[in-house]
Amino acid sequence: MSAAKVKMRGKKLRNQPASVQYPSSPVNAESSPKNGGDTPVTGVHEGPSDVHPFTARPKNPHQRGGWVRGHHKDGGGYAKEMSKYLTAGPFARARAAEVRTMLKAVTKTTGSCHVFGALPKHMRRRAMSHNTKRLPRRLRDAANRMREKSLQAGSKKKKEQAKSKSRKARRRHGNLLLEFNRRQRKNVWLETHIWHAKRFHMVKKWGYCLGDRPTYKCYRPSYRAMTNHCLLQDLSYYCCIELQGEEDELLAALSQLCSKEAGPTFAAAVCLSGRRQGSVVVYRAGLYPSQPLGPVTFLWRPRTQGSTHRQLWIWAHPNMKQDLLPELQAVCQCCEAVVPPVVTPAEVVPTIEPEEKPEKTAEAMSMTGTKRKRTLKDAGGPPAKKILGDGTRSPTTPVTWKSSSNGIVINDLTMEIVRYRLIGPQSNSVLAETVEAATDCDEMSKSQPSSLWWPEHCKNETKMNLHRQQADVFHILKGLYSTGELPSGTVLGLTVDDPRLTLPTKKVKALPCVKQAQEVDEEKRRELMLRGVPEHCCQSYLWEQSVRDNVTENKISEQDLNRMRSEVLVPGSRLSPTPLQGRVPVLLVHQPGKQQGHEMSSWGAGWDLLLPKGWGMAFWVPLVYRGVCIGGLNMSLKHSQNKGAPHFPHDYPDCPAGVRFQEEQETQLLDKFKRRPPAKRTNYIKHGCLAPFCCPWQQLAEEWELISRHGGEERKGDQTQTAAEADALMTSHGDIPVTKPPSPVTVLRNRKSLRLLSGWCRPTTSKGQRRCRIGEVPPLDHSALTSFLTVHGMSLVWVRLTILSKGRPELHAMVSAPTAEDLKLLKKESASGPQEPTHKDHFKSRIRRRKKAPKKAATSPLCRDEAKGKESALPSASEPNPATSEDAKSSSQSPSHLVIGLWPDPLPSVTAHCSRVTLGWVTQGDFSLSAGCGEALGFVSVAGLLNTLLNQPMEHRGMLLLRDPTSLHYHFAKINIEV
Amino acid sequence: MTEPRSPGMSSIQTGPVHTDSTPPAVEMDPVEYTLRKRLPRKLPKRRNDVYVNMKTDFRAQLARCQKLLEGGGHREICVHGLGLAINRAINIALQLQASSQGALQLAANTSTVELVDDLEPEDPDEAGEPMTRTRNNSAIHIKVFYPDPQGP
Repeated sequence: MSAAKVKMRGKKLRNQPASVQYPSSPVNAESSPKNGGDTPVTGVHEGPSDVHPFTARPKNPHQRGGWVRGHHKDGGGYAKEMSKYLTAGPFARARAAEVRTMLKAVTKTTGSCHVFGALPKHMRRRAMSHNTKRLPRRLRDAANRMREKSLQAGSKKKKEQAKSKSRKARRRHGNLLLEFNRRQRKNVWLETHIWHAKRFHMVKKWGYCLGDRPTYKCYRPSYRAMTNHCLLQDLSYYCCIELQGEEDELLAALSQLCSKEAGPTFAAAVCLSGRRQGSVVVYRAGLYPSQPLGPVTFLWRPRTQGSTHRQLWIWAHPNMKQDLLPELQAVCQCCEAVVPPVVTPAEVVPTIEPEEKPEKTAEAMSMTGTKRKRTLKDAGGPPAKKILGDGTRSPTTPVTWKSSSNGIVINDLTMEIVRYRLIGPQSNSVLAETVEAATDCDEMSKSQPSSLWWPEHCKNETKMNLHRQQADVFHILKGLYSTGELPSGTVLGLTVDDPRLTLPTKKVKALPCVKQAQEVDEEKRRELMLRGVPEHCCQSYLWEQSVRDNVTENKISEQDLNRMRSEVLVPGSRLSPTPLQGRVPVLLVHQPGKQQGHEMSSWGAGWDLLLPKGWGMAFWVPLVYRGVCIGGLNMSLKHSQNKGAPHFPHDYPDCPAGVRFQEEQETQLLDKFKRRPPAKRTNYIKHGCLAPFCCPWQQLAEEWELISRHGGEERKGDQTQTAAEADALMTSHGDIPVTKPPSPVTVLRNRKSLRLLSGWCRPTTSKGQRRCRIGEVPPLDHSALTSFLTVHGMSLVWVRLTILSKGRPELHAMVSAPTAEDLKLLKKESASGPQEPTHKDHFKSRIRRRKKAPKKAATSPLCRDEAKGKESALPSASEPNPATSEDAKSSSQSPSHLVIGLWPDPLPSVTAHCSRVTLGWVTQGDFSLSAGCGEALGFVSVAGLLNTLLNQPMEHRGMLLLRDPTSLHYHFAKINIEV
Repeated sequence: MTEPRSPGMSSIQTGPVHTDSTPPAVEMDPVEYTLRKRLPRKLPKRRNDVYVNMKTDFRAQLARCQKLLEGGGHREICVHGLGLAINRAINIALQLQASSQGALQLAANTSTVELVDDLEPEDPDEAGEPMTRTRNNSAIHIKVFYPDPQGP
């Protein structure tokens, strides 16, 4: 009997009484052995045959023999000789036992325990279990009982929800806030969360709820907005860390984190003066060039006269904050956590709001006299609104750290400052239309003391002077047509009016105004373009904690503002005088666009708008009303892709955050892969793709280092290195463990070396038509190569690849080196790239066999041994390829993790796996709307790249091949390294 | 859109670049700057303005102008060219005129455009201020138009 049949039978007999098998052994001689107990009653289906003998005469076995279905091994009742007599007593007893078990079996249902299982098929109806009235009456009671039971079981889990309040109650403001607070306990919401949640696909990332992409179609409009108009993003999730202390101390501490070789550091003169925003890649203290943490941007507060006390904001991605903050603390020797109640702004929010709200609601109550119920409720303590700031952080968590030795204070300002990014040439005009420099307050309010910051501010003449100058600069800014005209990174401090006051009634696209531009003094405009904003104008009161808090607390609520609007005599006119609360200090920070490379320079330049917390929505809606496009996380990825810049954390494989991201991405992609039916999955082994989901950078760099070292030795004999040679090298040396511990892979960020590399790649315009002029570059030869590789042998380099023909590169596409024959192909017109021969999947059969093996094992242990023996014998016999046989051995060690179409874990040599030598992988690939062809960004091994370049003839230098993980076709691509 | 030359960056370097075998030992020359060209000033563009560049295919640009004049319903268009693209702008205008069998007329104007270059010090900590310099470049603005019917 097959395993399936045994299983079926077992299932059927599961609920049967055990004594069904009537003892039929000859041992039981006294109880008339052959009296009908001869055929074992095996199941219900034999029931009918058994009914007969009960009522029939003792010679029934003959008849029964005819009734029994199928052939029975013990011969059934056919051929056995009949007994001559039978005793009534034991016979009746035996029959009685049979009947008993039979009745028991009949009443017990097998299989599903639904009541309607008892009904014949033609009497069953749809949704019977749902509506018991569809059942015949005799079954209804049982069905009802069953239903209640199942309901009870279900409701145990969601008992709370069953008792939930009415929608009206749930939507009441206080309850809604409570609900919101509960929902953002795990993932913090930005201030614009609700706006985004209505329009975007939200994702939970890095402890925040962020909009990924809009639900409406807007990929191309967003790109067009970035090129021609303006795209708006909410970047408030970026973490701001504030450092305060003496300038020298700060610089000394921070200089350990970065190196001059990789570009300007924290100490760059323009940035230090506070006039420009700088950006830098931070490393672990003193460990440059290994162990980078990630890129940060930083902003110094302009010096105040006669003081060396400085303030610095470091903006970092939330994913790297957990690495950066301890590093900063270590560098600054700040280990004392200051007890929060003294300084923490985080706990200001919950304490102040509850006191304020009842007042406001009470006011409203006295005026309107409605909503009596709510007053009572609110008096009990309304929920603190946590939408402002990082309210989910417990108030006792320290956010400030002080150093006893050098007086540096580190302040975690996460979620304290709202940051909006405007991308595109017209962001100037959008800003100019939305924001107006703050109006002076009148004499009367100046004379009386006020709790608000602006009236106090107005009393001071020097401060007002500064404000007027800043307003002037802003006025000139309006005259610029494009954001790219300014020096990159310019900072402008400003105090502005509440933008809600000038909200247009309809959404209109902000366009530059020629007339206004001509009013602007030409001389001043030139000055601004050349020199940027003067230093004193970069000062802003956004830097002051007290002012920030004051502004946040005293924001006019939307409700009050609407009431004031409704009281204006001419509907739709501007409120005058402007309410005193409506002055907000802001910082405008210019974002440089594309700075690397030769084309599309300053594409995607724009402004960052920094606001005090709480004012997010007040600025967001007016900005949206100026006809900007809104982008999510997806668009910021595309933005950096078009800029050709690495995007954090996607393109930082050497940073801990980047490593974390890669792991996440791998599980995500693997899950997606496994969701497809096995027959429809891509077989990556056949495509010769070793790592479709996660790129083994470390292995790549190590292998190339080995190859280049050996290549260097052999080259003395003046040999050219080909794929075959690399193959041979790898197979001979790939499995030998490297003796010295390999240094971790790093990304090359040394500017000089990058420039050198870039020159060697023979930079051209994007599609490779024209050469670009570059400065003189030392020729690429063996000595230059070896000296370069001694320093950067284990490095990767960030490259941009442009496909020369059709095609759109995908994520994790392979970058390979073409052979000499491939380059000949290139000379022919309309020649497409070479093809990779299909690889053989040796794992597939193995997996199949393994799947079968357990079943055999179930039937006979002997069988399993056989299978094992076959398996161990097979690989060596059937596989002539040494590389794969080596893997077979490794794979047999971890048998259970095999997935069809994916290489099991210890990968073979990644460089020499395909017919063309692999140099690296693509981390971002797409059709580039700016270049009009497929473009890929990714990393290649420096050693691999240089070896390839060296062997290429001059006219084809920098020509590489690109192959998608799901395809066998290679595309020609031109490499460009942009500095 | 005007693209005089491929704008971007090139290096003015005083000495040959060293390979980085001994990076910390070599003291960098303080007069080492990276030149980065900013884009020319951009004015708001009308529908019938055509900025000619050297990157787009010549035929495509010519076709664009023809489309504007014929299908677009514009009586006149302006072809602008800056620097290297002056030649091409003139070429386009003449081609347009030739293909219209004398129906189109040209009126050319030249001007000077001020361009801004950023000079970024290689070693920002020492050299301090990044410098900017301005230089001039020639530009041409050709009006291509159908003459008024009531004219001579």
